[in-house]
Amino acid sequence: MPAILTVDPRSGVPIYLQIIEQIKRSIALGVLQVGEQLPTVKQLAIDLTVNPNTVARAYRDLERDQVIETAPGRGSFVRANGLTESPRVAVEIGRDALDLALREAKAVGLTQSEIRELFEAALARWFGDFKK
Amino acid sequence: MSITITNLRKYYGKSAAVDDFTLEIPSATVFGLLGPNGAGKTTTFKCMLGLARPTSGRILYDGKPLMPATFEQIAYVPERSVLYDWMTVEEHVEMNRRAFAKFSPARAFELLETFNVERQKRARALSKGMRTAVMVAMAFARNAEILVLDEPTGGLDPVNQRHVLSLMINEAAKGNSIIFSSHQIGQVERAAENIAVMDRGRLVLQGLVDDLKADRKIVEGIFPDVTFTLDGIANDPRVARSDRTERIVRLLVTGGAADIASRLSSAGAMAVRVLDLNLEDIFLYAVSPANATTDVVVRESSS
Repeated sequence: MPAILTVDPRSGVPIYLQIIEQIKRSIALGVLQVGEQLPTVKQLAIDLTVNPNTVARAYRDLERDQVIETAPGRGSFVRANGLTESPRVAVEIGRDALDLALREAKAVGLTQSEIRELFEAALARWFGDFKK
Repeated sequence: MSITITNLRKYYGKSAAVDDFTLEIPSATVFGLLGPNGAGKTTTFKCMLGLARPTSGRILYDGKPLMPATFEQIAYVPERSVLYDWMTVEEHVEMNRRAFAKFSPARAFELLETFNVERQKRARALSKGMRTAVMVAMAFARNAEILVLDEPTGGLDPVNQRHVLSLMINEAAKGNSIIFSSHQIGQVERAAENIAVMDRGRLVLQGLVDDLKADRKIVEGIFPDVTFTLDGIANDPRVARSDRTERIVRLLVTGGAADIASRLSSAGAMAVRVLDLNLEDIFLYAVSPANATTDVVVRESSS
């Protein structure tokens, strides 16, 4: 499998977090399917030219979060109950993106009602205006 | 094989090249040693390899001092390549085969081909990058458990630099230890799991690259006017450094960025941002004393 993800080592975001994010995103988007095998730690480390321990750390956290499971000697797989996992992951991605936007909006001094107004307007742009 | 350096000191005359340096380098990983020119990286390597005698301190390999048998397990790429000008690349391979029991000539030739080095060329005809490539090929053909690489990408083009990084990753995946220094922080950032930063012979920072990035943030606050007080925020133990210029304060924090950010808001900051740091930022903060920057530095006095 050609590397399904890329990392930006120059970013301030830890590499293992970048790997976790992208694998979760791939699952949420259906790029990685339930039961699908992930590259081995060693293979992904070589593909990305990052330290194997860094990849192993990402896989450990993904296992802990029940996103993937590892069968000794067979490899790591997207968890069988990953279907129920996907919406949760999607929610997480959406929440993080909103948090980021809200932090910025708050930082430039917008009030809660001003932000709400902006949010409603954005919703209308993206989904069509149901109210009117 | 893990390496334990304890209280290493190396004096040349009265000047200390390495000054009370203590470091644990775990096995099966890529370890990056960073530092400005003259920080003591090369001297540390030389002490590790028995090429320089420490003034004091100890270096242990899996708990044992350096012994003749250990040399077979350590491959070294010095900063300045050591090649015999009149010998061909091929002859260097043969020389290594005779010197090291586990050296694989086949692997050496394979690596030389990867780097596009012609085996019949004499060393004197090689460019700086090609000389580095030969040294790297020889080291990685040694089947050593420890690779000590001092600027192993010096003079190499980006393609060959990446080859070297891939070789390092490969070795770590096999369970071997790689310790390397590089002025190209991007390479260290990509390949190294652990780093140590040396400055003027001392250890100034150490940790997992990912953890350092996760913990270290810049919290920036912009205040409505110049007469703000930080309510002792700058004295929080998590604030490693505080730079204040007129209405802006930048705090280097080693944890709790969100908490510090909300405290800045409470102190009256109208705009607060939390900024990520890449390894270059972290490195520069580690080796530049706070008062050496152009920014005005204010440590709040606790009142």
